[in-house]
Amino acid sequence: MNELINFLIEIGKLKKIKRKGWIIRKVKNPETIADHSFRIAILAWFLGKEKRFDTKKILKMALIHDLCEVYAGDITPYDKILPKDKKQQKKVLKKWPRFSKSEDIERLLEKHKKEWKSLVRLTSKLPSETREEIINLWLDYEECLTKEGHFVRQVDKIENLLQALEYWKKDKKFPIKPWWVEIKETIDDPLLLQFIDTLDKKFHQKKKSK
Amino acid sequence: MANQTEKFYLTKEGLKKLKEEYQELQKIAQIKVREQIPEIFHSEELNPEYLAYQEDNELLQSRLADLKNILTNAEIIKTPKKEKQNIVNLGAKVLVETDGQKTEFEILGSLEANPSLSKISNESPVGNALLGHKVGDMVTVQSAIKMTYKILKINYK
Repeated sequence: MNELINFLIEIGKLKKIKRKGWIIRKVKNPETIADHSFRIAILAWFLGKEKRFDTKKILKMALIHDLCEVYAGDITPYDKILPKDKKQQKKVLKKWPRFSKSEDIERLLEKHKKEWKSLVRLTSKLPSETREEIINLWLDYEECLTKEGHFVRQVDKIENLLQALEYWKKDKKFPIKPWWVEIKETIDDPLLLQFIDTLDKKFHQKKKSK
Repeated sequence: MANQTEKFYLTKEGLKKLKEEYQELQKIAQIKVREQIPEIFHSEELNPEYLAYQEDNELLQSRLADLKNILTNAEIIKTPKKEKQNIVNLGAKVLVETDGQKTEFEILGSLEANPSLSKISNESPVGNALLGHKVGDMVTVQSAIKMTYKILKINYK
């Protein structure tokens, strides 16, 4: 029980860690990593049910997918390219970043290594069965080993888009385009594409429909 | 991931990799059935890459079922004839210019897509929109935010 309490204290840090994607865009009082995990779990559960996926697995996967960020932190594709100059920063953040193939591989390997180390450290004192379950679910999510892993990975992007749209709705200076670019290049599940179209209509075409 | 009744478009290498994975996982499943689980971790025959499956039977069975379905419904992506290689099709590497930046996409089936490495699915809105276009074409992806991709180069490995 003592180890479980220690684990809960550690993952409780995710309730305080603000997501970096919003910090670099100067969003006031942005959501935390735990906030994001909460809503991705609900979204993946509801839509996964329609796809007749393993709900239990989807829920667990969504809940643990960012646990690695307790020690690894929230890593974004902008981390290494964001200039110090504020004007230049704004310019960079208006576009979805593009990298060469070798840069992509290097960046992803580095991220994966950091997150893996963090997750192993975080779960090291848990009972072996639970630790293995968390690590296997994370690997499934990271590498899209099963249809559930593939699905939750795409739902993660959609929850990000929804949050970005909410920030954009409050402040139209918020650079929304990079989220749409990522989504349109990434999502290929028909149900999720339908969900995105609905989001598009709700946030962008509301005035027209009035 | 495509529905069960759909075709799974794969490159030759991708199909080979999945067949090897299926054989490897079957081997693990057989050993488990023979109740030699403790030995599994010391077997030199087994690829350490599959460690997660060795430890988690549910994951192993789920992946085996997925692979069986994929292999049954797999269709290899063929390189088009030379005269049709000026058109974007599955398997094409497409150099595009978008938002003032150049990037190269590889258009693959859902299973081999990895957008973080610019391998995009033919079922994604951008991948789908690029299909059938030629060098010089401007491809617009329909959404509230206008996204335009100018095709600069197409090649098939």
